[in-house]
Amino acid sequence: MDFILEGFVQALHLLAGGNPETYSAIWVTVRVSSYSIGCSLLMGVPLGFCLGYFDFSGKRPLRTVVDTLMALPTVFIGLLVYAFITHRGPLGNFGLLFTLPGIAIGQTILALPIIIGLSATAVESMDPKLRVTIMSMGANRRQLFISSLWEARHGLLAGAIAAYGRVMTEVGISMMVGGNIKWHTRTITTAIALETNKGQFGMGVALGLVLLAIAFGVNISVSFLRRRI
Amino acid sequence: MERPIYEIRSLKHSYAEKTILAIEHFNVPPASIVGIIGPNGSGKSTLLRLLGLIERPTHGKIHFNGRQVEPFSNEARFLITLLPQEPFLMKRSVFKNVSYGLKLRGNGSNITTSVNDALALVGLPSRDFAQRPWYALSGGEIQRVALAARLALKPKVLLLDEPTANVDAASAQLIKAASLRARQELGATLIIASHDWEWLYEVCDEVRHLFKGRLFGSGQENVIFGPWQHYQGRLWQKELTDGQCIRFAKPPPQPDAVAIIEPTSIIGTTQTKHDGSGPDILEGIVVRLTLKKTSDEIVATIMIGNLPFTLKFSRQQVQAENLYPGQRIKLYYSPVSVEWL
Repeated sequence: MDFILEGFVQALHLLAGGNPETYSAIWVTVRVSSYSIGCSLLMGVPLGFCLGYFDFSGKRPLRTVVDTLMALPTVFIGLLVYAFITHRGPLGNFGLLFTLPGIAIGQTILALPIIIGLSATAVESMDPKLRVTIMSMGANRRQLFISSLWEARHGLLAGAIAAYGRVMTEVGISMMVGGNIKWHTRTITTAIALETNKGQFGMGVALGLVLLAIAFGVNISVSFLRRRI
Repeated sequence: MERPIYEIRSLKHSYAEKTILAIEHFNVPPASIVGIIGPNGSGKSTLLRLLGLIERPTHGKIHFNGRQVEPFSNEARFLITLLPQEPFLMKRSVFKNVSYGLKLRGNGSNITTSVNDALALVGLPSRDFAQRPWYALSGGEIQRVALAARLALKPKVLLLDEPTANVDAASAQLIKAASLRARQELGATLIIASHDWEWLYEVCDEVRHLFKGRLFGSGQENVIFGPWQHYQGRLWQKELTDGQCIRFAKPPPQPDAVAIIEPTSIIGTTQTKHDGSGPDILEGIVVRLTLKKTSDEIVATIMIGNLPFTLKFSRQQVQAENLYPGQRIKLYYSPVSVEWL
């Protein structure tokens, strides 16, 4: 048990002392997860809205596909993205392998079904009378879309948090597509895996604590936001 | 002749292959009040949603002010508003709910005044209600806030779907008064679907009956639901709850058909007639006398068992017969004067 306690003490030293390697991993994680969650929200919210709002043939099977993709294994996404962006792959010319954009692409694929699925659920659970109310006030199509999204904001926020949590804590994509390159593509989770293998519990615990702190910070912010809107 | 504000021809609307509405022809004159009467499931709410441009009809077109319109039509979306039967308030304060439509339309100036005026119109003082959240309102208050949100828009057409169905008597009175002020002050056209036919006869220029998706008559027809039993010969009958039987000498198309009898086909009198023509006779009790808005006629409601019958009388007839609620009255009708649906 001592080595765990020592790990905690060492973690506090690393964080308080501004250890550059620790903070590099934190910065990379925040950057890459922000890119991927931003892209996922931009694409996923409109798609999720359409999936939840409109009735069309093939909606149920499509919904099943999206729900299935919500459980995509990260190593499988990593494998697929690696295959596409490796030098021999169809997107090899873009030089995305072992880069942050490469990881962001993989994490976007990971987050997108979660955002689509949970947005669709949020929109489906909206009161059908809302549409009648908004239209009876004279809204055009754009106003109807924006007002409906606004009324579903709490559900959308929950979807965004779930996706952010999954992106922040994934290892498979960052490891396979990013290559865990120190100062460059090493994220919190890949650093924890590496440091633990090396027996460096201190850094692993420090980074774990940072992950928890980020999750806590995000949830506090969202909780504050929910009360305000 | 003045151009109708609404004109509908050969309109059909279906849900899942089932036809809900089939209206051959329906015109609504501008600045009029039109009432729609019909049982639950007759298509009243669907008709109002189509007129409110919430849905597009499956077949046929709706013309508004002479132009073909559909959902999101710029020609009409700022002029028409619908108050649904179960209005919905968005998760925000009363003020924000009432001002929502004004903001959508870009009416940025004087929003506070418009909201306060609209709330006052429905009997909700702004100082007490404007900042209340949506969840701190009673059913009647929700209905009135929803109506205020529509009245604030100063619509040219106000569509009301059972506006007083789920509210207390005081709220119903305020809703009725506020709706009529929209007509008086804004010159708005009102189309009201309601079970409160007494109110409709009192305020409407025209009342139409909607049954199984079809509009017919003036709304005062007597509607008698089946099942019908074969009695003898060509006679079919239905036994009423007080044991009397109503019989027709015209076979129904199917045993559960609906019989329609014009009020003019029934003669109501407190005296016994002996004209020998052999109409069937029913006896009932006068429960209500209502003066029609557009004529001097008095509409009487007579209950036979639990079935209401509507008859028309002139003032002189009412005086001569000395009609009053609670009085027993005989109804003479011709067994062949029936239309089947």
